[in-house]
Amino acid sequence: MASEWQPIGAGLAMGLGAVGSGIGIGMLANGALQSLGRNPEARGPIQQNMILAIAFTEAIAIYALVVAILILFVL
Amino acid sequence: MFLKPKIIFIFFTVFIVFIVSVLGGALGAGFGFGFLGGPLPFISIAAETIFHISNPISYDLKNSTVMLWISIALLIFLSWLATRNMKEIPSGLQNIFELIYQFFMDTADEAGGKKARRFLPVVVTIFLGVLAFNWLGILPGVGSIGKIETIEEWVHHHSHSGHCAEISHDSKSDAIMSELCVLEEEHDHGFVVFDRVGSLNLMPLGRGEAKRAPLSAIGGYKVEDIEKIKKKIENGSTPENVEELVIIQKNIHDGKVVELYENESDGTLSPKTYLGKNTGELIPFFRGASTDVNTTLAIAIFSMFAIQFWGFSSLGLKGYGGKFINFSHGPLNAFVGILELFGEFAKTISFTFRLFGNMFAGEIVLISMGFLLPLIGMIPFMGLELFVGVIQAIIFSMLTLVFGVMAVTAHSEHEEHD
Repeated sequence: MASEWQPIGAGLAMGLGAVGSGIGIGMLANGALQSLGRNPEARGPIQQNMILAIAFTEAIAIYALVVAILILFVL
Repeated sequence: MFLKPKIIFIFFTVFIVFIVSVLGGALGAGFGFGFLGGPLPFISIAAETIFHISNPISYDLKNSTVMLWISIALLIFLSWLATRNMKEIPSGLQNIFELIYQFFMDTADEAGGKKARRFLPVVVTIFLGVLAFNWLGILPGVGSIGKIETIEEWVHHHSHSGHCAEISHDSKSDAIMSELCVLEEEHDHGFVVFDRVGSLNLMPLGRGEAKRAPLSAIGGYKVEDIEKIKKKIENGSTPENVEELVIIQKNIHDGKVVELYENESDGTLSPKTYLGKNTGELIPFFRGASTDVNTTLAIAIFSMFAIQFWGFSSLGLKGYGGKFINFSHGPLNAFVGILELFGEFAKTISFTFRLFGNMFAGEIVLISMGFLLPLIGMIPFMGLELFVGVIQAIIFSMLTLVFGVMAVTAHSEHEEHD
C-alpha cells in the first residue's frame, strides 16, 4: 500500500522517537558525571550502570528506527 | 620525528585516495564524476532465500542461517584451539578467552555476589555468540557476493507474494493474470544491469542509480499493452495465442535490456550500451546473522527461558511465581504482579529489537557510506560498527546477568536491604 506520505511518516517516527531518547541519554550522562565528580572511586559501577541504563534508553530510539524502516520498506 | 619521508608519503597517499573516494562516490556524481559508485542495493528486511528444498519437507535455506553456522563453527574451532593445551600461565588465545571470562566474573561478583557465578556459562556464551554474529556480519563480501535472481524468477516469486497473489492460482489463465498484475504494478522497478566478465556477473561501477533498468525496458512493453492483453484473456483467448504476451514472456525469460528507457532523474535516454545486457537482482550468499530478526528473537527467547529457570529453581514455584500472581497483599500488589508478568514479555521484545535494530541500522549505514564515499571513506564507519558490535554483545549478556540476579532475589530480601 505505497503512499507518497510514507517518507514523511518514517521521518516523523524516527525524529520524534529520537527526541525522547536523546533527552534521556543526556540526563543519564549528566547524572553519571555528577556522581563521578563527587565520588571518583566509584568509577567502575557508575560506568557500568550508566551503560546499561543508556542501553535501555537507546532501545526506545531503536524501536522508532525499526518502525521507520518498516514504514519505508515493508508497508 | 613526524617529518620522515615515509610518513609524509603515507599521509599523502591516504589523502589522494580520500579525494578519489569522495569524487568517485555519490557526492562526486553531483559534479559529473562518480566513477566508483555502484547501484544502491535493494534493502530487504527479511533474509533472502538462497536454496529451496521442497522434498521431503519444504525448507528455505536463508543466507543469515549460513552465516550463523559459519559463526558457530568458528567459535567452536577457536574454543578448541584455546583450550587444546591449557597452561598455568596463559598465553595467546587462552589469554584472550580468560580475559573475557574474568571480565564477566568480576561483573557477576559485583552485581550479585558469588551466587551470580552460576549464570556465567549462559552469559558468556551469549556474549561470544552475539559478538561473533555481529563482527562476521561486517566482513567484506558479506552481502555483496551472491547469486543472481533472474527476472523470470523475480516475477514468478512476486506473483505468489504481495497483493497480486490475491488473484487465485487455480487455473493457468488465473496464474497469468497474477503475473500480468505484477508486470503492471512493478513496471518501474529497477533491476541492476550487470557487467559480464568471462562467466562472472559483476556489479557495475559508475553513476550509481543510473545503472538500473526498469522492468518495462526488460520486458519491452508499455503499461497500456498490459491492459490490452488482460482484455484479450478475459474475452476468452488462451494465453498462448496472445502474441504480445508471448513476446513479453520470451523477453523476460532472456532477462536482457531490450529497449531504451528514460532515466528517472534527468529524463535522458540511457546509453545504447545497456541493450542486451544481463539484468537481475543480487541474492547475497551471506548476511550477518544478527541482521535477521529471527536470530535475535531466538537468542532473546533462550535468555528469557534461562532467567525464568533460574528464578524458579532458586525461589521455588511459590516464591518466584508469587512475584507475578499475588492476591494476598491487596489489589494494588496483584496489579503490580500482572504488570511484572507483561514486563517479562516486554523484555524479550526489547532484547530482540535492540540487537536487530542496531545491527540492521549499522548495515544500512555501511551500505549508504559505501555508496557515498567508496574505498576508504567508509573505514571509520566500519570501526564504528566494530564498536557497536562489541557494545551490543556486552549489553545483551550483561542484561541477561542483571535480570538473572533480579529473578533470584526474593522480594523480602530486597526490603531488608532498604
